Amino acid sequence: MEALAFFVGAIGALGGAIAVIALRNPFYSVLALVVHLVSLAALFLLLNAEFLAAAQIVVYAGAVMVLYVFVSAYVGGSEEPIWEPIPGQRFLAPLLAGALFVEISIAVLGTALTTLEGDGPDVRLGFGSPASIGELLLERYLIAFEAASLLLLVAAVGAVVLAARKRREAPHGA
Amino acid sequence: MLIAEVGFAEATWILIVKALVIFAAVFAVAPVLTVVERKILGRFQARYGPNRVGPFGLLQPAADALKLIGKEQFEPRGALRLLYAAGPALVVFSGIATLAILPWGDVKNGVGFYGIDVSIGVLYFFAFGGLSFYGLLLGGWASGSKYSFLGAMRSAAQLISYEISMALALFGAILMAGTLSLTEIVHAQDDVWFVVPQFLGFLIFMVAGFAEANRAPFDLPEADAELVAGYQTEYGGMRWGSFMLAEYLEMFVISGIAATFFLGGWKGPGPGFLDPIWMLAKILGLMFLFFWVRATLPRVRYDQLMSFGWKVLLPLATLNALVTAVLVTVL
Repeated sequence: MEALAFFVGAIGALGGAIAVIALRNPFYSVLALVVHLVSLAALFLLLNAEFLAAAQIVVYAGAVMVLYVFVSAYVGGSEEPIWEPIPGQRFLAPLLAGALFVEISIAVLGTALTTLEGDGPDVRLGFGSPASIGELLLERYLIAFEAASLLLLVAAVGAVVLAARKRREAPHGA
Repeated sequence: MLIAEVGFAEATWILIVKALVIFAAVFAVAPVLTVVERKILGRFQARYGPNRVGPFGLLQPAADALKLIGKEQFEPRGALRLLYAAGPALVVFSGIATLAILPWGDVKNGVGFYGIDVSIGVLYFFAFGGLSFYGLLLGGWASGSKYSFLGAMRSAAQLISYEISMALALFGAILMAGTLSLTEIVHAQDDVWFVVPQFLGFLIFMVAGFAEANRAPFDLPEADAELVAGYQTEYGGMRWGSFMLAEYLEMFVISGIAATFFLGGWKGPGPGFLDPIWMLAKILGLMFLFFWVRATLPRVRYDQLMSFGWKVLLPLATLNALVTAVLVTVL
């Protein structure tokens, strides 16, 4: 049962991730990303992380991706990319991807594979529950948590300022 | 079962029986509710409502269902076949899935009177609410029609605007109970129902719930005067019926969550076996509110909907959560 759930989740996550970059239509890419995120949430459930799974769906699939859907449904639809944002991207991207692959390979080969033979860490009851996550965020990692929320606040204010400036330049509606 | 592992676990066969009972009950209740709504609306408008099929028109939903099932599965030429079919299925799936967490009674003889008691509690409801949005969106987008597309986009904006207020409105009750588990929240209301200390939260939750369920006066995604029927425009037969079924399911679940968080859940006078009856009575009472409001209030304008959601409801919900948090800590 667990193995079945794992493989369904893993295939969904990998298939969704590949589909995001393989599909030409941006709207389908967004939908594939949603499939990927929901599959990841299923994998979190297998790891006893119910809160993380729910947060993943509520925040990413339920809020962030909705905005993506908005944008791609309104302005998307063009089959070909109109411009290449960074010159030389075609040559730089594979190099950087290769570097990332090597880095992850080193990390995986160095640590994770040694635990394959074991039974995994002992998980105490209530691990990953909302209470224990709240305790970690608001006591042990309080400063990092508050710094992150400050960063988000700055980003939100910045977005509002940028939008307001654009409206002032074009007073008759944009 | 994966989700029920934390806390206590029930035998698999009990879970399967419970799933079947919930599924059967839903398909028995939802059609009856459609005819109840039409009869109530009829009375509000000084007419009888359906009264021809069966006694008091009670067999009307059976006739409707037969008609819908017998219809041709029509697809517009511009529709994307797979996504067009996936839309209604996704909406019904998430509606039924959320029913699992409504508690109908306490744990008796090792069997809980609920589908599952998840540790994340009401977040489960919001997670599936987020997924049901994709049903509307796929339906509207894949129909290949302007009206459907605009309806889907409207519902997207409406859902993300009111979801936040809805979640924040429950914070007060969660803080007072000190737990996320829905059964524990009902137990925390032994002395007084949370509707008394959390009246503002109850009000905000119900208003946001009307918007979440796309019901009047917030039924802009299917505003028939402007958008024909919004995201449902190109649907017919049982696929359209699925959207309607999902709407009633959503009303039912929102009423159930409100009854659990604010009206004491299954609590009521009388012996223990009456618990599910009390829960059902509270849910139906709240659903009557949905019908009553639909018969009474006109539809709001789109800019009114947005400014009300962001400038009135959200600050009020935040304030409510903040004040409750301070009071819970101090007292």
